[in-house]
Amino acid sequence: MIRHHPEGALLLAYAGGATDEAMSLILATHMAYCETCRAEVSRLETIGGSLLQEIAPVPMSGGALDAALAKLDTAKPFERRPRPVSRDGTPAVLSRTIGGDLGTVRWRRVSAKLSYLPLFRHGSVTVRLLRGVPGAQTGAHHHQGPEYTLVLKGGFTDVTGSYGPGDLQVMEGEMRHNPIADPGEDCINLAVTTGHLKFEAPLQRIVAPLFGF
Amino acid sequence: MTPGAPELNAALVRVAQVRDRAAFAVLFSHFAPRVKAYLLRLGASPALAEDLAQEALLSLWRKAHLFDPAKASAATWLFTIARNLRIDTIRREKRPELDPDDFMSAAEPAADDSLALADDESRLRAALKDLPPDQVQVIELSFFADKPHSQIAGELGIPLGTVKSRLRLAMARLKRALGEAE
Repeated sequence: MIRHHPEGALLLAYAGGATDEAMSLILATHMAYCETCRAEVSRLETIGGSLLQEIAPVPMSGGALDAALAKLDTAKPFERRPRPVSRDGTPAVLSRTIGGDLGTVRWRRVSAKLSYLPLFRHGSVTVRLLRGVPGAQTGAHHHQGPEYTLVLKGGFTDVTGSYGPGDLQVMEGEMRHNPIADPGEDCINLAVTTGHLKFEAPLQRIVAPLFGF
Repeated sequence: MTPGAPELNAALVRVAQVRDRAAFAVLFSHFAPRVKAYLLRLGASPALAEDLAQEALLSLWRKAHLFDPAKASAATWLFTIARNLRIDTIRREKRPELDPDDFMSAAEPAADDSLALADDESRLRAALKDLPPDQVQVIELSFFADKPHSQIAGELGIPLGTVKSRLRLAMARLKRALGEAE
C-alpha cells in the first residue's frame, strides 16, 4: 500500500515533458509501483493532447506531405526495446539505468551498515542508490536543495513518517531529518539530491564529501 | 473542415491495420502543422520545428501498431510522441519511461471504452477553455515552456507556492469537469 505520492504539480511537469532525466527516472520508477499515479499521468497527458488539438496550426512548407508519403514505404515498423531480464522484479525503467538488477549491484561501502552506488550526475543534481541494513542511520542532515527518496525495498522511518516500497519522500532543502532503516530486510532507496547533504555530526561533515555526498 | 477526434482516431487505426496512406495523409495534414506550432512554442527554430514535425508524423506511421484507441486519443498519443522527440533531439536528454510491463502491482487499469474516453477528452477541452487565464497560463507553461515550476515562478514574478496553488486549483476544476457527467 503506497502512502506517499508525488504532488500533482510534479506529475503534471512529467506529463508535459518538463522534468529532467533524474526526476523522470524517479517518477517513472514510482509509477512502476503505483497504479494511481500511472493513471493520473495518463489523464494529465490528455491535457497535452487537448492543447495540441487546440493550438493555432502553423502551415508546413509546400511539398511536406509528399516528402512524408515518399518515405513511408522504406520506414521500418518500430520495435520496442527488449525488456531486460530481471530475477528480482527490478522495474525495467530502473534496471536500464543501473545496467542490471538491484541484485547485481556492486555496492560501495560507506560504513558497516551503509553503502551506495552513484548512477549519474547532471550539474548539481545527483542520482544514486542507497542501501542500509536494518537500524542503519544516515545521520541528521538537511540539504542544499530538495531531496527525493523512493523506497525500492525494505523501508525507513524519520520525523516525517514511515516509508515502504514505492513511497516517495520529498524533503525541501531546509527540512532536517535522520532516516533510520526499518527492521526486516535491507532498505534500498533511489535518491535524487540537489547540492550536497549538510550533516550535523563533525566527523560526517568531513567524511561525506569524500564519498561525494 | 477539420476532422474531429473520432475521424482522427479511426484514421490512425486504419494506418495501423491496413497501412492506409490516404488515412496517413489526413493525419499529416491535421497534425503536422500543430506539432510544428507546439515545437515553435518551445523555442525550436522554424526549420527544426518543420523537420521534427515530419519526424513525429513518420514515427506515427512506424508506431501505429502500438496505438490503443481505448487508452488514448490520436491527439494525446501523438502529443507523447512529439514530447519525447523534443526531449531526445532538442534537449538531448534521456527520458526514462515506464516500461509497459513494469507493473509491480498486478491490477490493470479498469478497461476504458473508447467512447467514454472521447467524451472525457471533449469535456476536458471545454473545461480548459473555461479556466481563468492565470490558471491556463501555468498549465500551458507546464506543457509549452520546458521549465521546472520554480523557473516558471521566477519568470512570471510570482512565488513558487502561487504557481503550485494555481495548478492545484486548475487540476481540481478539470477533475470536476471530468467527474460531473459520470
